[in-house]
Parts: sequence; C-alpha cells; structure tokens
Amino acid sequence: MSLEKVIFGFFVLLAATLNFGFFIGDIDDPTLHNKYELFAAVVVNLIATVLKFGDRTQIGAVHLATSLVADLQLIAATLVWTWATQISATGLDGESMASVVSLSGGALMANIVSVILLVIETVSFQRR
Amino acid sequence: MSRSDKRWRRMLGRGEERPRKARRWTRIAAAVQGPPTVFLILRRMRAPLIVLITIFAISVLGLTLVPGRDETGQPARMGFFDAFYFMSYTATTIGYGEIPHEFTGAQRLWVMASIYLTVIGWAYAIGSLLTLLQDRAFRQALALQRFTRTVARIREPFLLIAGYGQTGQLLGRSLDALGRRLVVVDSNAERVDALDIDAYRADVPGLAGDARNPQTLEHAGLGHPYCEGVLALTDDDEVNLAVAMTAALVRPELPVIARTVSPAVGYRMAAFGSPTVVNAFDRYGDHLRLALRAPASYQLMVWLESGLGATLPDRAQPPRAGRWVLCGYGRFGRELTEDLHAEGLTVTVIDIAASADPDPWVVVGDGSEPSVMARADLAHAVGFVAGTDNDTTNLSLVAAARRINPHLFVASRQNRPETAPLFAAMRVDSLLVPAEVVAHEIYAQLSTPLLWHFLREMPALGDRWAANMITRLHKHCGRRLHGLWRTTLDADEAPALIRWLRDGRATLRDLLRHPDDRDERLDIVPLLILRDEQATLGPADDAALQAGDQILFAGQPWDRRALLDTLTVDSVSQYVLYGRRVPSSWVWQRLTHSPRSG
Repeated sequence: MSLEKVIFGFFVLLAATLNFGFFIGDIDDPTLHNKYELFAAVVVNLIATVLKFGDRTQIGAVHLATSLVADLQLIAATLVWTWATQISATGLDGESMASVVSLSGGALMANIVSVILLVIETVSFQRR
Repeated sequence: MSRSDKRWRRMLGRGEERPRKARRWTRIAAAVQGPPTVFLILRRMRAPLIVLITIFAISVLGLTLVPGRDETGQPARMGFFDAFYFMSYTATTIGYGEIPHEFTGAQRLWVMASIYLTVIGWAYAIGSLLTLLQDRAFRQALALQRFTRTVARIREPFLLIAGYGQTGQLLGRSLDALGRRLVVVDSNAERVDALDIDAYRADVPGLAGDARNPQTLEHAGLGHPYCEGVLALTDDDEVNLAVAMTAALVRPELPVIARTVSPAVGYRMAAFGSPTVVNAFDRYGDHLRLALRAPASYQLMVWLESGLGATLPDRAQPPRAGRWVLCGYGRFGRELTEDLHAEGLTVTVIDIAASADPDPWVVVGDGSEPSVMARADLAHAVGFVAGTDNDTTNLSLVAAARRINPHLFVASRQNRPETAPLFAAMRVDSLLVPAEVVAHEIYAQLSTPLLWHFLREMPALGDRWAANMITRLHKHCGRRLHGLWRTTLDADEAPALIRWLRDGRATLRDLLRHPDDRDERLDIVPLLILRDEQATLGPADDAALQAGDQILFAGQPWDRRALLDTLTVDSVSQYVLYGRRVPSSWVWQRLTHSPRSG
C-alpha cells in the first residue's frame, strides 16, 4: 500500500462527495445548501488538482483535465454566490441560488468522471 | 522565387545547395523528447502549492467562524467573501487597511496566527520556485528544449558540427562568413556558452552534450530535412567514429566529414558509407611534399584554402636535397618520415622512447640534450622538424637546432592555439597546426565544390603555372583574397546572357568588361571553368563560354556585384557585351523596339 495512492484517492473522492453534498436538495432553496460545504468543496478540489500535476500518462492528463473543469465550475459558483450576497440588491434569492447549485452540479459531473477514472485505473492496475 | 530573391542568394553565396532527398524528419526509433518544462515545474511545485492552499483554507475558514461584532455592537460573523478578501491582502503582505468592522479580540488572535502561517506558506512556495529555477537539471532541461526548438525551426540548409574545439571554431567562422548555417554539439559546456559571445552573423544554436549519444545528434537536427552535412571534429577519434557511424546509419545520403589522426580509425570510418576522412598529419605530409616539389603550387593552395580575407602567404623554399632531422616519432613523425622518404630525402629521427624494432634512422634519446643533438649531426643537415606533442619542447628544440645550424629550414608542430605568438616570434619556416590543416581542408571541400576541383587538379599543372596564377591573382585582387564564388551560366543565374551564349561567340573577355566602361576589365580572375565534368584551370580571357558552364571566380565584392549586374540586368548586359545602350524601362523598350535578350 502506498501512502501517495491513499492520499490521492482520498482527495479525489472527498472532492466528489463534498460536491455532491452541496448539490443535493431543492435547487432554489438557500437553506438546503450549506456555504461551508461549498467552501470545502472548492478547497478540496483545488488540492486534488495540484495532486494531479506533473503526471504525463494519458490517464493522468484526463484526470487533470476533469479536475480543472470542476475547479472552473466551482469557482464560477462561488463567484455567483458572492455576487448575490455582496453586490446584488435582491440578495441570495431562489434564482441566484439555482444558478449556484446548477454550476456545482456541472462540477459534480466532472468529479464523477474523475472518480470513474480512478476506479478504472485501480481495476486495470495489476501487480506482477 | 523572385528574381531579386535569387540575386540576393547569389550575392550571399548561397548558390551551392545540393538537391536534398529527405524532405521530412528522419527520426531515430524511440527517440525520447525532453519533458516539457511546464510539467517539470508543476511536479516540483506540488507540495508548496498544496501547503499554500491548505493554509489559506484554514485561515479563511477560521476567520468566518471566529465571533465578531458589527458597528452597533451586535454579534456578527465575517462572510466568506470578506474573509477571503482580508486574507488575500494580508497573506500576500500587501496589508491593505480596509476591514468591514473593527476586529474583536478573538478575531485579532486568529488573524495573528494566520498571518504567520501564510507568510511561511508563501515563503515556502516562492523559495521552492526559485530553487527550481536555479536547479542544474532544470536549467539543462530548459536549455535542451530551447535548443531543440531552435534547431527544428531552421528553414535553410545547415551543417551539423560535432566538436567545437580549435578546428570547429576556425571552420565555423569561415563557413559563417560564407553565409552557411551551423548547429554545434560539444561535450564542453564552456565552449558552447562561448558561441553566444562569438561574433557570428547567423544565430548558431549549440548544445552541451555527448556526441557519441545518437539522441544528442538527433536533438541537434541529424534527422532534420535541412541538415546538409555532418562534420565530426572532436579531438577524440572514438567520438568522431561514433558520429560518422551514427550519421551513416541514420541518414546514409548525408555527406560526412570526419577528422582523425589515426589511419586505423580512418579505415573503420570508411566501413560506414563513404565519409570524407581528414587526417591532419597525413595532409601535412602531403603539403610538405608539395612544398618540396612545387613551392608556388603549395603557396597558391594555402592561399585559396585559408578562407575569405586571407593574405597571400610567403613562399616557403624547403631544401630539396640533403638530410632532414626530425624530433618525435609518434604518429606524426612516422607519417612525415614516410613522406620525406618518398621524396628521396634522408631522414634522421630523434625519439625519446626506444622501440623494440628500431628503424635504422632512429637516434634514441632526449632531443633537448646536447649529446643527442650532436649524434643527429645537425650541422650537416638541411631541414629540422620539431614534431612532439608539447609546444614548449618544440620551441626549445627549434631554438637549440637554430643555434647549432642557423641555415636550417625549420618546421614545427604547434599544438595549442595560445602558443601561436611564440612560434610567430621564432619565425619558423613551416608550421603545422593540425586544427588549421583540418579546418582549411574541410573549408576547401565545403565552400564550393569547384574550389575543391581546382585544388585537386592544380598541382598537376606544375610550379610555373601556379606562380603565374599567383601573379595574376595578386595583380587583380591584391594581397587579400576577399571573394571566391561560383557562377553558373544558365537561365537561372545568368538570365541576361542566354541569347549571347547561344550565339557561340561568347568569350570570357566580353563577360568581364566593366559595366561602367566596357573598355575596362573587371578585376576578376577566372580560376576554373567546368563543362560536362571537364575542368579547364586558369582559363585565358579568350576562352569560349557555353550555356551551362560553371565558373569559379576570384575577385573583390564590388567587382562581383558589377558582374552580377551583367548577368542579370538586360540593359547592362547589352552594353557590356555589344556596346549597345538600350533603355532599361519596359515602356521605353516597347517604344524603341530594342532587341531583348534572354
């Protein structure tokens, strides 16, 4: 067992689970979506991305790409959230919450792909 | 290609392009490219970045959780946005002063902790990045990548030079003066760095690496479609052999020129394809024989071989009869002894090491000892050669020999470039600088094939012919030879002459008239006319010309430009050839119905 693999798998999976936790619930209900969960999802996703740096295999490249997509979506979600809470006159209403959650839903897709890749990698790995 | 473009190429001496078979890259199987630099940076920066992200996350999260108070004194917590904003300017040590509300004690405590944390994080990240940039392996990877990219981008024929020592530098400079592009590989990083300082006209990419490794040559563009030849010029015969071998196996169609000092290695090189092997000692022996037999031919050869701007060398007069004394019986000594014997001269050799089967003419002993010198009987010798591989020894041998017999013809071998002023001060009659011999020889072969033709056939014409040629060159070009170029009389290079050439009465005399005043002759000396593989050396002015002739000219650059006008501009050629003044503009030509040539 290699510690590196444990950490890598941990962060990839945690990124997906946190993302899922934030995403689940009525799309336009702000009370069902915790901002700390979104924050955690962003941070863990960033760490997962950095962990994928520098791997030059094909699967490593796709891994990195999915993470970058997830980062982009989550950061977009936080930007929308910031706009709604800080700048917009209406505050965090159902409409803006819906777009935050749907953006995080896109990130969830990317994270699921990432997890699938992780599973494929694990299954196809053979110790000789 | 437009006409002006061609004109430029001709002026820049780029006329010698061989048809190239390979138009695509030839890749060595499984050639590994260097890793892209961005991946290297990313991989090395993984840990610092993760530390930075974690520290940031903890600080921001803590700041949103620590209880605070707003202006009215109501308990309020900081939002994520405010917390991130605050941490961004604090952690980066910008310290912008704006905060939403005054901090409570608990908030201040947390901010204090996070400031120290983030400073450590940043210092670690920036420190790692700077270390990475200083890292030798990283810089090498970067240099290799830049080099490979520069080479791949070359879009004109270039020569691949392996070994940038004395020979490589000499040859590099003279080839650069001809407008050739070069790519250099050398195992010594300092020499490669010196490329940036050297005054080259074109950019010369250089790589510090082992030329024995095929991959190094691959990086240097061995498989490049525009690679037009490989020169193996290192001091190490084995490396040269490896380079010649690699080139012959990867690109069999490329010409290879390899330097060696050992005939055995020369044979081994010849086993791969047909490389041109240049052996400095062997060539010097040949030169000395030529100098013995025909001093003027030798003088002419040295002059033409020395590259652009070379001054006319003095004519050495080595004694043709008598006994020579030679110090040092290594590879050089043996080659030279053989050559001198072949010329019918007697030779006495002084060598420090006694061999098992000594030749009868060898005197064993240290040449610097007077008793040994006395045994060689210098007083009754005519020539002396100091041929050891140590310059200090050679200099002292020359001095000792001169003291015994001031009338000796003294030749010496100079191994290191730094000692050149000392040998010059000694006024040695003939100097062997192996690097120069090799560089000149290769220059003669590469600069233009016609020069090589000329040099090979010239000795057969005898000493008197060569002396006349030198007088002619001296009269027209002065003591310095500034231009040596080839002109082909075809529609491509001489469009204004085609009709004149078809008439069949074309002579060199008419071609070389001055465009300003046709009664004057341009100061250009034709050295050779090549027609259907038949070479005429030193053609007279009444020599007939035909379409397709290749001519080797020597002359000054301004005369070359004048000749170029005659070759390409109709109105100029009409005046030069027939004395007719025709209008040069198209409209005026239509109006006057003047005959157009070409």
